[in-house]
Amino acid sequence: MAQLQPYIVTSWHGHRNDVGIPSAVKTVWRKKFQLPRRGFPQKQSNVDIALLDSIGRVVHSFDAAYNEEDGRRVAIEQHTARQLQYAAPLLGLGRRSGQLRSLKLPTLNGKRGIRVFVSLGDERMRAYQAPVVEVVPLTDADWQHLAWSAKERPVPAAALKPWLSQIYPPGVMERTDPQTKFVYTIKSTTGELKLTPISPANGKRRAILNGVIRLTDEGPGNFSFQGVIGAVITYPKDDTEPQSLRGYFDGLYPRTDRLHRDTRWLSLQAAFESIPQ
Amino acid sequence: MRIKWVLCCLLFLVGFAFAENPSAKRILAGYEALRPSAKDLAMYRLDWEDSLDVALNRAIKENRPICMIIIHAKYGDITSGHC
Repeated sequence: MAQLQPYIVTSWHGHRNDVGIPSAVKTVWRKKFQLPRRGFPQKQSNVDIALLDSIGRVVHSFDAAYNEEDGRRVAIEQHTARQLQYAAPLLGLGRRSGQLRSLKLPTLNGKRGIRVFVSLGDERMRAYQAPVVEVVPLTDADWQHLAWSAKERPVPAAALKPWLSQIYPPGVMERTDPQTKFVYTIKSTTGELKLTPISPANGKRRAILNGVIRLTDEGPGNFSFQGVIGAVITYPKDDTEPQSLRGYFDGLYPRTDRLHRDTRWLSLQAAFESIPQ
Repeated sequence: MRIKWVLCCLLFLVGFAFAENPSAKRILAGYEALRPSAKDLAMYRLDWEDSLDVALNRAIKENRPICMIIIHAKYGDITSGHC
């Protein structure tokens, strides 16, 4: 992480036949997809890292997931660190790795919304355990679905779809349209939640939102999964619009393993928090 | 004796009123447990830029290199992790 501190980090994705491929990407792919002079093509992944100088020239690039060094497999982190080390003098960085920046989570630039953290507990694909962080802007109308009520009342999960629909696993290879390569988005969130007022705290009214929800994606087979939602919502003393929300989702996700031809039920969990905090 | 008894009752009632609701306590504990730690969120210590064009403009102004992650034939958002 320290080695990446001097860099501005960005990403790009696309197909080889797309129009408007940036010249830096063309440079990397020309090398990546060139036919080998002899023998079999080298194994490769679909992810590359390109290191560009300050005027946009590709100084070094490497396959981000091909991690063989001298015929031995090494950890991807180790391979990446070595490649960055190799490129540092070419970019005039020397030992300029520097201090770690402070943590800067995605925000909505002051607009109100909900931040969703998602994690899939897959022991076979440890990279999927890395948290997803999504921020979803909410309108006044969206917040109204969670407005204060002195009595317990139902809240349809469909009304909370803008943010609940972010609960799906990190890897788009999980559920991706084979033609477009875009992930199948969540098309419906169903279930009836309860919004129950509870005792106030710190001068604020509070309510609990809980229940079971089912999420169905737009792919074939009506693919769906479900889990439990719990959230604590606070309200100003004299207003019905929510002031803050904190909660979680705890569910199970059926991951179909094409290699082993089985379906495993994995823990899919999420935490929610309203922003700005 | 009577005053002591009344005080005890009052203290009991005050304690009851300020006791955290058990469901709220359980939910907030669940939120804390599932919210990723700073260590898990380390990639947000990097200086991310949304697009290559903006990164290139900044690189010239700030005289800094760019690290670009290129994904072939898949679409997702590497910054959010839904990728």
